[in-house]
Amino acid sequence: MSTQGAAGVVDTPAVAPAAPPGRTRGRPRRTLRARLVRDWPLLAMAAPAAALLLVFHYLPTLGNVIAFQDYNPFVGDDPLDAFLHSEWIGFGNFEALFSDPLFWDAVRNTLTITAFQLVFFFPLPILLAILLNSLVSGRVRGLVQSVVYLPHFCSWVLVVTFFVQMLGGAGLLAQEMRQAGLEPWNIMTNPDGFIVLVTAEAVWKDLGWGAIVFLAALAAIDPNLYEAAAADGAGRWRRLWHITLPGLRPVIVLLLIMRLGDALSVGFEQFILQRDAVGRDAAEVLDTFVYYQAITTQQWGLGAAAGLFKAVVGLVLILTANRVAHRLGEQGVYSRS
Amino acid sequence: MKPSLPGASTDRRTLLRLIGLGATATLGGGALAACSKEAGSKGTATKADAIRSVLPTYKPAELLKPDIPGEGPIPNGYLSYPRELVDAVTEQPGRGGPAIRTMSPWWGPTPPTLGKNSYLAAVNAKLGVDVDPSLQDGNLYADKLNAMLGARDVPDILSVPNWEVDKIARFSDAVKALFEDLTDHLKGDAAANYPYLASLSTGAWEYSVWGGRLHAVPFPTDGPFAWALFHRKDLLDRAALAAPTSPDELYQLGKQVTDPAKGVWAFGSVFDMVQQFFGCQQTWRKRPDGGLEHKFENPAFAAALEFTAKLFKEGLVHPDTVASKGADEKQLFKAGKILMYQDGLGAWQGMQSEQTKVLPSFEMQPLPVFGTGGSQPVIWGSEKPIFFTFVKKGLGKDRVEELLRVLNWCAAPFGSREFELREYGVEGKHFTRAADGSPAATELGRKEMGAQYTHIGGRVPVKVRSADTPNFAQDYIGYYQKNIAQMEKDLFAGIKLELPANSSKIIQPTDDKIRDILRGRRPLSDLEAVRKEFLATGGEEGRAFHEKALADNGR
Repeated sequence: MSTQGAAGVVDTPAVAPAAPPGRTRGRPRRTLRARLVRDWPLLAMAAPAAALLLVFHYLPTLGNVIAFQDYNPFVGDDPLDAFLHSEWIGFGNFEALFSDPLFWDAVRNTLTITAFQLVFFFPLPILLAILLNSLVSGRVRGLVQSVVYLPHFCSWVLVVTFFVQMLGGAGLLAQEMRQAGLEPWNIMTNPDGFIVLVTAEAVWKDLGWGAIVFLAALAAIDPNLYEAAAADGAGRWRRLWHITLPGLRPVIVLLLIMRLGDALSVGFEQFILQRDAVGRDAAEVLDTFVYYQAITTQQWGLGAAAGLFKAVVGLVLILTANRVAHRLGEQGVYSRS
Repeated sequence: MKPSLPGASTDRRTLLRLIGLGATATLGGGALAACSKEAGSKGTATKADAIRSVLPTYKPAELLKPDIPGEGPIPNGYLSYPRELVDAVTEQPGRGGPAIRTMSPWWGPTPPTLGKNSYLAAVNAKLGVDVDPSLQDGNLYADKLNAMLGARDVPDILSVPNWEVDKIARFSDAVKALFEDLTDHLKGDAAANYPYLASLSTGAWEYSVWGGRLHAVPFPTDGPFAWALFHRKDLLDRAALAAPTSPDELYQLGKQVTDPAKGVWAFGSVFDMVQQFFGCQQTWRKRPDGGLEHKFENPAFAAALEFTAKLFKEGLVHPDTVASKGADEKQLFKAGKILMYQDGLGAWQGMQSEQTKVLPSFEMQPLPVFGTGGSQPVIWGSEKPIFFTFVKKGLGKDRVEELLRVLNWCAAPFGSREFELREYGVEGKHFTRAADGSPAATELGRKEMGAQYTHIGGRVPVKVRSADTPNFAQDYIGYYQKNIAQMEKDLFAGIKLELPANSSKIIQPTDDKIRDILRGRRPLSDLEAVRKEFLATGGEEGRAFHEKALADNGR
């Protein structure tokens, strides 16, 4: 693609002045004490975030040991004791998990939904952001933005109820069709159309929210580029293709990689709420599988094993996607320095 | 837009293959497999004999003679509210200790919390110690409970519904680790210190024993039936339709009253009741030749499934019931959008009383329990207490005694001032008195009360006529008296069962498949396959476990 070079050109001047002036390699380092005296306000500012990360992310990660235990939370005198006293069973939980056909059903459903949404959901916020960005009137843009953000703050219970009230068998659409003498469509309880339904719900809920970050990226594109291109006779589509999209590309790639890392999570409430309506075959995803087979039956070890599996797959996907992104000349999520 | 799905699905397949390879490698690795063991509990059953020796001595504490005496598990009925109330508790239970944190289930809007609730303030003033209740949605209680037990972080007093206990694996381990052993406080004559706890039936106490020790205060059932099929009698009467007396009439009635154009459907959830009409047992029953038979093996279950699937197929069930988990059927029923649905009999008086204010002609009644032409119905039920109240372990003797005195106060019987304050609140504030002296809840009463004290205190159940439900006590007790003979005998009464992990694990997947058949997503003929799979993946293990429990108890 010809746009690659352009992106490089835009990047280079941005990087050069960012190099810290006045610090060269080889100069004797300051003592720890001196650096503490100099940097303590910065460290103090970073401390709460670091503590949060430590307490709510790193510490719980240690709990993953129960994936290798027949974990019983009630042995010993306190919760910590329970970790120490539960029986070690090696890979027993993983064996049970991988030999369970229900588990593979759930994985298959989850990946199908992820793939479907990558194609039919992921690009939509980009389109919306470009549309909004092209609106001239700030007031209209603000109004539209507010309206499309709002559903993000509705819980899934509300969203599903809303869809049932609108499209369900006793909902607005069905009643209107009956009034008109038509046979109502079966939208909410059709297992074959379920993947479209959940994607439509997700779009309704999160489209506006997803557009925010793209709007920010659009705002960062230098307007001079558009003016120069227009002066050179580039039409609307050429400007979109040669300026807007290349400008968005780093953000798009970044979000795509993050989404891939989350490939085995497609949500929980949305599926548990609609499970009875379409049946397990359509609505079982990995998270609901863990809920029914591990949490409600108190097989914590099995649940932890499934979680670990998810994390490992996510990590592998992120690393792979990141490497592919580097090959294609993108920055990706992070890069080796 | 031309979807690029084929490409995506190729990637997916490749990915799956990679994962599959990984899994095979994991499984195939001899070293790994060698050090692996199977997880999960194998189940336990405590014998009935071990239980009897720790029970409190029963001493009835009836203040008033009932108008309709109940028998066995049927509660007493009172047709008038007493003009003169007595003080049942003379010594203030609280000694001003720290606030008592409690958690109990509630099915309704959450009342305001301590500090913003005048009902709690009034009762706490009487108790002499603050009770600080946390009410949780009864339908989602398991979620909260599982997390709480898993984290070993329980409140001072915890109420656990019996159906949740059955679902929690290793519950007896949890009881031992987290809850106080109450045996020394309540065993035998020691219970006389807490006279209203001693007045709870021995049958209810029998279920409160774990590992041979008394660990909970029971909340005895106010009627042992699991379900009733309620119908809107006022609406059927207006349409001059009679209550059905057979499954076929039920179906015909459903067809007559369903009118989607008006937004009216005949049924909400009914499957559990239909099974009972067809004479199917709740789970296990004894075979004539000995041994146990699961309900999936009973032809009555297949018949009930076929019947209910027909109701779904012909569109007689409200679409909200079809479309979402836990559709608000109470709301649909109140609004006349469904005319029949199954619910616990506990829902009856509250809904009748509340709706009478909205629609004076509102009348809900349970349908009579009928069989099919050839067979008798079977009613599911159990004399198990509805809830168990546990006390947190390690609070010290003095504090445990204070908590038990509070529970004793919360168990004060009908006819006492304590009962009135607990059930109706403060006169003029939470209730007003009708001409016949009976209390009727006010708006504030409905808002602030959520059985915060009732659900933790046991209490001897009674049914009382109120001005806004004038026929309730007779109707309720009459329904039980008429049908109690049809109730299935609990084979495992007095034996404490904890299912093996394998047989509790298959419950959800099997329910899913049965639901698929009900909703027409799978053909009826699939039942045979579902049954085979169920038995093979845990059902047979469950059968052996239950048969052994019966044999060990000489039944």
